[in-house]
Amino acid sequence: MITKGKWAAVPGLVALAACAIVLSAYSGASSPEGRSPKQPIAFPHPRHVKTLGMNCLYCHFAANKSPDPGLPAVETCMGCHQAILTNSPEIKKLAGFFYKNQPVPWERIHKVPEYVRFPHMRHVNAGVTCQDCHGNVQDMTQVYQAKSLNMGWCVNCHVERKARYDCSTCHY
Amino acid sequence: MSNPSGQPGVRRREFLKVLGVGSAAAATVGCGTDYVEKLIPYVHSPDQTVPGVSTYYATTCRECAAACGVLAEVRDGRVIKLEGNPDHPLSRGALCARGQAAVQGLYNPDRFRGPQIRADNALRAASWNDALTLFRQRLGEVRSRGQAGGVVFINQHESGSFATFLDSWLAGFGFPAHISYDAEAHLATMEANRASFGVAWPGLRFSAARLIVSFGADFLDNWGASVAQQLDFADARARLQGAPRFIYVGARRSLTGLNADEWVPCRPGTEHLVAQALSGAAPAASVAQQSGAPAEQLTRLAREIAAARPALFLAGGEGANALELAQTVNRMNQAAGAVGTTLLPNEPVTSFEGMGGYGDLVDVVRRMEAGQVSMLLVRGANPAFSHPGFAAAMAKVPFKVSFSSFPDETAMLSDVVLPDDHALERWGDAQPVRGTISLQQPAMDRIFDTRATADVLIEAAKGDPSTAARYAGTGDYRTWLFGRIPGGANAVAAALPKGVMTGTLPNAPTPRRAPARVTAPAGEGEYFLLTYWSPTLGDGRGANKPWLQELPDPVSKIVWQSWVEVHPLTAKALGVGNGDFLEVTASGHTVTLPVFQFLGVRPDTIAIPLGQGHTAYGRYAKDVGVNAMPLLPAATDAAGGMVMATRARIRATGDHQRLATTEGSARQHGRGIAQALNASGLGLAVAPGGEHADEVAPRSSGGIDVARGTQPQGADTPRDINAGGERAAEHGAGQAGAGGAEHGGEHAFPGDASHEFLPGLRSPVANDAQGDLGDPASKDAGMYDPNHWSGMARRRWAMTIDLARCTGCSACITACYAENNIPTVGAPHQGRALGPTTPSAGPWDTRPGANVVKGREMTWIRVERYYEGGEGNERSFNPDFETRFAPMLCQHCGNAPCEPVCPVYATYHSPDGLNVQVYNRCVGTRYCSNGCPYKVRYFNWFGFGEPNRRQYAFPEPLNWQLNPDVTVRGKGVMEKCTFCVQRIREAESRARLEGRPVQPDEFTVACAQACPSRAITFGDAADPNWSIARLAQDRRAYHVFEELNTYTAVVYLKKVNHPSPGATTAAPAATTGEAH
Repeated sequence: MITKGKWAAVPGLVALAACAIVLSAYSGASSPEGRSPKQPIAFPHPRHVKTLGMNCLYCHFAANKSPDPGLPAVETCMGCHQAILTNSPEIKKLAGFFYKNQPVPWERIHKVPEYVRFPHMRHVNAGVTCQDCHGNVQDMTQVYQAKSLNMGWCVNCHVERKARYDCSTCHY
Repeated sequence: MSNPSGQPGVRRREFLKVLGVGSAAAATVGCGTDYVEKLIPYVHSPDQTVPGVSTYYATTCRECAAACGVLAEVRDGRVIKLEGNPDHPLSRGALCARGQAAVQGLYNPDRFRGPQIRADNALRAASWNDALTLFRQRLGEVRSRGQAGGVVFINQHESGSFATFLDSWLAGFGFPAHISYDAEAHLATMEANRASFGVAWPGLRFSAARLIVSFGADFLDNWGASVAQQLDFADARARLQGAPRFIYVGARRSLTGLNADEWVPCRPGTEHLVAQALSGAAPAASVAQQSGAPAEQLTRLAREIAAARPALFLAGGEGANALELAQTVNRMNQAAGAVGTTLLPNEPVTSFEGMGGYGDLVDVVRRMEAGQVSMLLVRGANPAFSHPGFAAAMAKVPFKVSFSSFPDETAMLSDVVLPDDHALERWGDAQPVRGTISLQQPAMDRIFDTRATADVLIEAAKGDPSTAARYAGTGDYRTWLFGRIPGGANAVAAALPKGVMTGTLPNAPTPRRAPARVTAPAGEGEYFLLTYWSPTLGDGRGANKPWLQELPDPVSKIVWQSWVEVHPLTAKALGVGNGDFLEVTASGHTVTLPVFQFLGVRPDTIAIPLGQGHTAYGRYAKDVGVNAMPLLPAATDAAGGMVMATRARIRATGDHQRLATTEGSARQHGRGIAQALNASGLGLAVAPGGEHADEVAPRSSGGIDVARGTQPQGADTPRDINAGGERAAEHGAGQAGAGGAEHGGEHAFPGDASHEFLPGLRSPVANDAQGDLGDPASKDAGMYDPNHWSGMARRRWAMTIDLARCTGCSACITACYAENNIPTVGAPHQGRALGPTTPSAGPWDTRPGANVVKGREMTWIRVERYYEGGEGNERSFNPDFETRFAPMLCQHCGNAPCEPVCPVYATYHSPDGLNVQVYNRCVGTRYCSNGCPYKVRYFNWFGFGEPNRRQYAFPEPLNWQLNPDVTVRGKGVMEKCTFCVQRIREAESRARLEGRPVQPDEFTVACAQACPSRAITFGDAADPNWSIARLAQDRRAYHVFEELNTYTAVVYLKKVNHPSPGATTAAPAATTGEAH
């Protein structure tokens, strides 16, 4: 049987929960840091970057000239894989997409909110490495979000590196 | 939920669980980083495209017949914005509101997804194969039954090769030539021009004229190539020295009429009499009696016209005698030496060659009614809406084909719909001016399963054994087109980047059939009824584009509604006010419309805009407003143009509805928002003995332009800047002595007075931050320090708006909507009721414009329209009033009242002079809006930007147009003009990428880029190399509400009026003074 006395604690709990929400949002606890969804094709960054020595910009070709880093077209992958490792099950998946004229539905890992503008080229050309934001992707067999990408994390770097930190630098 | 004991209620543990889940969800929404989505790459990477960087394709605008040049901005395969093409000889980089809104036609959510075939009395989706088979079969039947002569093809008039292609296709089947139809055609003007000058539309040089007289020719609305005309008119008026005076003759002051210096209010259909009186061919007294225009005015203007060289006379007219008017006016042009100076038959606008109109369909309707039309084909046009009687007659036609991409009235009555590509999806060409070909190319892949009509016709012909041979060698329309453009495919490929090429299309001149002339009795009723095509919706084509519905009519400022314009005197006599319903009866039909009281219509005349009241045409057009077309007498002038005036009876119904208007007050109440001065006040034209007769006088009630009295120091001319301070002081005193009731803007010029100003830079906030007011060493100014490494504080983004150029056309508004993802809020499904409604309606208010009625409008820039003078119009008719248009947007105050009141620091001043609104900080207190003296902040009352809400403003695929550089705002967020900060940052990024500083005038904001008057200039006012730095120091410059110490970054330049030289005390000096 529920008595009225027990319910008297509810407003207090609500207030507590509200505080918790505010604090968690402020502390960045809501960041999906560490998130590592399974990709439709297990693309091994280490193999391409470390073993083969490919530059990030080979595939993410627009990162130094556009706000958008660019994703390699499926045909870019097939440029090599038409001949290389054609028997690998993952490459067969890739070829499957290509010959069906379908894009690979990659899972997005890094995303800043819609109200944030992150021009890649400004960062890349200012000497910020890909790893500064994306972590050591060259070591990740399955890519995960290595940094929090929260605003405090952004602003710290902007202040340290003497970049603009005015709100309208990123928010508009 | 229930607990195990069966009792209703929430158990504590469950309650907390719910709360916990709720909070996680809230945090997710709040931060938005947990949202899982896909990254979709290209399969094959397209050439030359960089994701995230815009590509521009030059093409041709097809929203009206003028064929302006546009650059389609394409981002990642989607057109996101149209800009004017600076290389185009007609539009020279400008673009009107209708042109801007073309993308909302492209992405219209109500477009046909594919072909439709009528079955069970409704259109049903079908495959192209089925639709084409049916089409071919019916084409064959018509011919086998010997009914080929009864085929009618109505094509929306557009300049270019398609008309030739179409006629050759029709000839191949043995069908008669097509009808090139445009409901907005000014047939009388063109007919008279052909007779007088040999071309339909001679080039008009407003800038060469000293006097412009328009007889109902609304050259800033939709008479002719309005963008080109507006560009030249604004250039002419902005010259100040020797700028043309502009007189408007007509029963109603349209947008064009409101821009005139003087209005001659004559009864509808008497313009030709006034023309005769003004040219001295008829006595003023008798004309005054017949036309209702004051004899004194006619005499004075006749004198002025006789002395003015060169002059330019323009004929519009809507009465049965429009052709007589146009002929009279052309004779006046010839007599005044206009031909070759202001009117150039050798540099014609060729877009309108071969255009037909209302009269061309009269015969078609008659034949349809008689059952003589065996097949009707309609492409582009919507005659079932724009031609009264057409829809009813269509029922007698056995087979009707529509090529419309939209479910318009004509398409909905058709038996098969073969949807055409949008103009931005297909190939084409135009000949806008002599010697220039404007190319049209697809700016993006087609969105729906549509096909270019030309290709459909080729395919149909190839499927028919008798015509197949003709098209055997023709691949598609593009190949055919390239083959006939001089120079062929190579020349086209070379010209495409610019969109224009020199050359002439080998089109045979279209013979103009003499259209049927239909006369009608004069009609009965105590009032003249005047109708006009809406300047924003055109012949109704614009009605399905929410931007155009939401664009306040430049004259009435009403959105999403129809209205009837009534003079205040008439309204008083009828006992009605704004929003009271009036029943208008004419030609046996009655429509009911809310009243809009308007000073610019004669008391014996009422005026109704056309273009609304669709019965189909998609969710944004259907059942919005009233179609007044049935009131018209179904008659033509001698050239076949529709008679748009008749007589009507009116009756107040007693009902009332609030107008969905964005107008606050029609008067400035001494606030000095839109200021003006007379041309001579700039020291450009000094009339002897009246040096100070020119400063813009507050007009006394009674509307007579009271000249300012001469000042004691007659020796100092207005050009004497050094004496300015004294003069200003005296002037102020004189004003106080005169009562100073109206305060139309009679301040000293900044250049005259001692103060020099730089917009925004004098902000105490900015100055303090820059260390000017305090000890620079005492505190860290951060990024506000001009020497800060970011360099942001060395810039001061600012804007000038030249009111001498602004015509109030409102193209800037639509450009802003397009650039900044501004939601439209007035659609019928978006309305939310304030209070309880009927149970069936729920909380919704489905009247069009309901949100606007409740003051929940959304527009970052608005064009305010104020009257000066003309007081007492409710007691007696006083046509002598002036209209001032002032674009009003966030002033980016250096000392902004909105900034300190924000409790969450969501709005603040950036180091480079922007008043920034940070959406993600905003919690929606609306304190800022309360504090803003300019009322330029707008609140998201509903989730206009949230796809899962009923009020969502961008239903698929309208959301494809959204600018990826601008945040789409959610519910509960305040928003306002950002000075296109995304363009500023983009320019900075581009400059950084190229290792150079931002160049002066390197970029501009969306409103300035579109402006067909070139009234708006944007730039860095702190850098003297930008144009704005010079303009902001103009002698006409002022800040709105300067007295509030807001230190705005928007500088207005006073409007310049050109009062009648004969009306001032210095009449004898009328023409000599201007020589300067």
